Amino acid sequence: MSGRTEGGAVERYRSSVEAFHFLGLVALLACFSSTPAFAHASDRGHVLLLPTGYYVAGGALAVAASFLVLALLPPDALDRFWRRHLPLVAFGDGARTIVSLISFAGFAILIAAGLLGSRDPLSNPLPLAIWTLLWVGLVLLHGLLGDLWSWLNPWYGPWRIASRVFGRGDGERQDPRLPQWLGYWPAFLLFFAFAWFELIDPAPDDPARLAWAAGLYWLLSFIAMLVFGYRDWSRHGEFLTVFFAMVARFAVVERNEEGRLNLCLPGTKLLSATPLPLSGIAFLLLTLSSVSFDGLSKTFFWLGLFGINPLEFPGRTAMISIGSFGLVLMFVLLAAVFALAVIFGQRLAGGKHSLSNAAGLLVWSIVPIALAYHFAHYLTALLVDGQYALAALSDPFALGWNLFGTADMPIEAGVAAGAGSAWRLWNLQAGIIIAGHMFAVLLAHGFAWRLHQLPARAALSQFPLTVLMIAYTVFGLWLLVTPTAG
Amino acid sequence: MTDKNGFFDLSKTSFTRRTALKGLAAGAGLAVAPGFVRYSQAQSSAPIKIGFQSHRTGIGAAYGRWYEKTTAAAVKAINDAGGINGRPVEVIIEDDGTDPGRGAEVVGKFATQHKTDIVYGTLFSHVVIGSAPAAGEAKIPYFVVSEGHHVASTKLNRYVFQPGITDVKSQIQSMAPWIAANAGKKVTQIFPDFAFGYDHRDYLPPALKAQGAEVIAQIAIPPTESSFTKYFPQIPAETEVIYHVMVGPAVLTFVKELGEFYGSNRPQLFGFIDSLEATDINSPGLEFLDGSHFWEGSPRYAQPDDSPAQKAYRAAVGIDDNGAAVGDPKDVSTAAHMFGCWETLYVVKKAMEDAGYKGPEDRTKLVEATEALTEFAEGPEHPQGPKTFNGKIHQCFGIQNISKVEGGRLNVVHKTKIEDGLYEPEGDYTTQAL
Repeated sequence: MSGRTEGGAVERYRSSVEAFHFLGLVALLACFSSTPAFAHASDRGHVLLLPTGYYVAGGALAVAASFLVLALLPPDALDRFWRRHLPLVAFGDGARTIVSLISFAGFAILIAAGLLGSRDPLSNPLPLAIWTLLWVGLVLLHGLLGDLWSWLNPWYGPWRIASRVFGRGDGERQDPRLPQWLGYWPAFLLFFAFAWFELIDPAPDDPARLAWAAGLYWLLSFIAMLVFGYRDWSRHGEFLTVFFAMVARFAVVERNEEGRLNLCLPGTKLLSATPLPLSGIAFLLLTLSSVSFDGLSKTFFWLGLFGINPLEFPGRTAMISIGSFGLVLMFVLLAAVFALAVIFGQRLAGGKHSLSNAAGLLVWSIVPIALAYHFAHYLTALLVDGQYALAALSDPFALGWNLFGTADMPIEAGVAAGAGSAWRLWNLQAGIIIAGHMFAVLLAHGFAWRLHQLPARAALSQFPLTVLMIAYTVFGLWLLVTPTAG
Repeated sequence: MTDKNGFFDLSKTSFTRRTALKGLAAGAGLAVAPGFVRYSQAQSSAPIKIGFQSHRTGIGAAYGRWYEKTTAAAVKAINDAGGINGRPVEVIIEDDGTDPGRGAEVVGKFATQHKTDIVYGTLFSHVVIGSAPAAGEAKIPYFVVSEGHHVASTKLNRYVFQPGITDVKSQIQSMAPWIAANAGKKVTQIFPDFAFGYDHRDYLPPALKAQGAEVIAQIAIPPTESSFTKYFPQIPAETEVIYHVMVGPAVLTFVKELGEFYGSNRPQLFGFIDSLEATDINSPGLEFLDGSHFWEGSPRYAQPDDSPAQKAYRAAVGIDDNGAAVGDPKDVSTAAHMFGCWETLYVVKKAMEDAGYKGPEDRTKLVEATEALTEFAEGPEHPQGPKTFNGKIHQCFGIQNISKVEGGRLNVVHKTKIEDGLYEPEGDYTTQAL
């Protein structure tokens, strides 16, 4: 759950009302087949006995080696290879409204469950759906399957209906109403609020508290979409749409403008991305820094800096100011290091591109790292809380229902417990972290080629960023092995 | 509930194990919940509402999960046998996040929003200490399952009780006779340098002294330490027993490094299972513990001489002979502590029946009835063993188990007497106004 590493879900697809969550189930089941772990103290204890130092060194070397190999490869060959794709079926947007309406109905039921159902965050489906299915499962699914949220979001359908009722026509194609200078800043601020609620608020898992927060967010976003237009607000203000669209660029499935699905290599759509403005750069870095801080905030190291005894962790209410400070600090540090890496890279290469253009392009290479962190960091939560979600969705209002036959399923916490699980989990997490950074180097290589036509300059320009990525690999692995509270 | 055709049949809605725990939703939900209609028709059959302050998230979550399972099993058993005073028991879970600040809020919610009859179930000491004032202020009986000495110290208030698990002072004191007689007379203590360790630091030396043994060194380890080899040279060479109570993720490292330090020629080892609660004793790194001894409140592993009550309790909660979840052998329980939930609920039942408890207006009667309790006989309601209860300090006293690690399991080699853990009361809650 929040503090969601320990602890952070799934369901059965029966009625159309539940369609919204079906994809979360797919994500969970996909992960079940791979690995386990439940990060309470004793499981981190097993990891402490593993030869993790070799992995950290090996990971750093692998990321460095991928940089060297790529520097020797002719970039255009790589580019050609990467852009291959396999066309699949084509379909129109006809069902988008109804899918979104179904999703909205599911969301409304969840909000009602949050207000009226069990007070136990592991029995009430709302916290499990938001923090585990949505924030863990659906994010990872976007990294795999592309932009599902443009169909699944609970605003599009209601907005279409409202637009017709108010006779505002198809506002999707209307002129932008948000000032251009705002860029992604509304989404940035809203994501910060979301991250603060998840990581710092004393009780984000409390069903009623979460119902109010999520319900109000839906309402305010809906009003903003009516005022500023669906397209404008969802692309610049609604942080989930912005984030999902960004990570979906890594997916192996893409849908082109004609509605045809293509199977492609991971990250292809990132390569063709246009440079992000400063606000977009900040948004993407904030998403990575917040997940990183979630990990850092529980480490003995971080708690020790403030004289907090991790073995008698004083609870979230005692950590509000320290956590708020840390959340901001992590972002500022990551942004500063990223900016320095880009500046030095451009200086080394002496290119004619503006710094903002280079940074706006290179920041896209953060996406696979963010996905890798998301996976590694929340995997245990997905495995254990996913089971609680399955059970909770069968009886959303705690009335003794058993809608999907899962209400009384045993919760197997052992799937993530013990030395064997710790070993398998660690290998999977470490592998994903390292692979994510290698992808990042690969992408940065592609972007550098776009910025600097001379291969030597392109390679030189990436050097500082590669150093940053090696450092972040080490940091990411360290977060998984260092002693933590809880 | 659905019938065999898959249709909802609310007439068949009853208190299953799950509904007993999930049961009460928000107050508004209750009024419209079909399952409660029949109880709202008659006040006398309305459920007894128990507010379960649960560590569902935060650092206590691993314990919280097993406290929830044990509570569910006990409530089912109580309801199956007719409930309390003929009324069904309903448990409302609120997550305290293992957070003292949140804990106090939760107690307030139980008292004013959910209007529960009592608050129950807290484990972590700092949450108990943080929540107790709120319970006293709301004048709502607060039954904790914490094993901390804070209740018995009489520094909390008249509404706080610990009738289902012994306190740490009593536990430590009752270990001394066996250690002195069987393990050795010269004891070195290794403990984490904070409150949990201080209990052992402070209570063990006088208890050992009374048995003709002595603590010859006390080594406090900083809580953030993750490597311990540098501390081991501080262990005096004449040490006969190392008494260790390390906790946290680095415990396995501690044991492994201690093994590397001593090799095969080591002093006797005595520990508290708190160090390895919910952790498989056969985990890599723990080989060095073979032949060592541990305190256990209730044995993790099934024992040859388990009473029928103990067997029934284990079956009801769902733990196998190795103390892990039935069907999920890697999910090791918190067996040494969680029995306290079961027994506490039965104490609540007994006290409510003695008080003729009808509702929140009888809370003071419930306090006095609980204070009037003196002993609990071993049996289905108290499967861990017999207990006495001191109403002045709101604390029970019972037997403790000393278990030896052998053959990859913990075998009970000694059971202490209740008298081993008795001490002079430090105050008297009954003099406080209700």
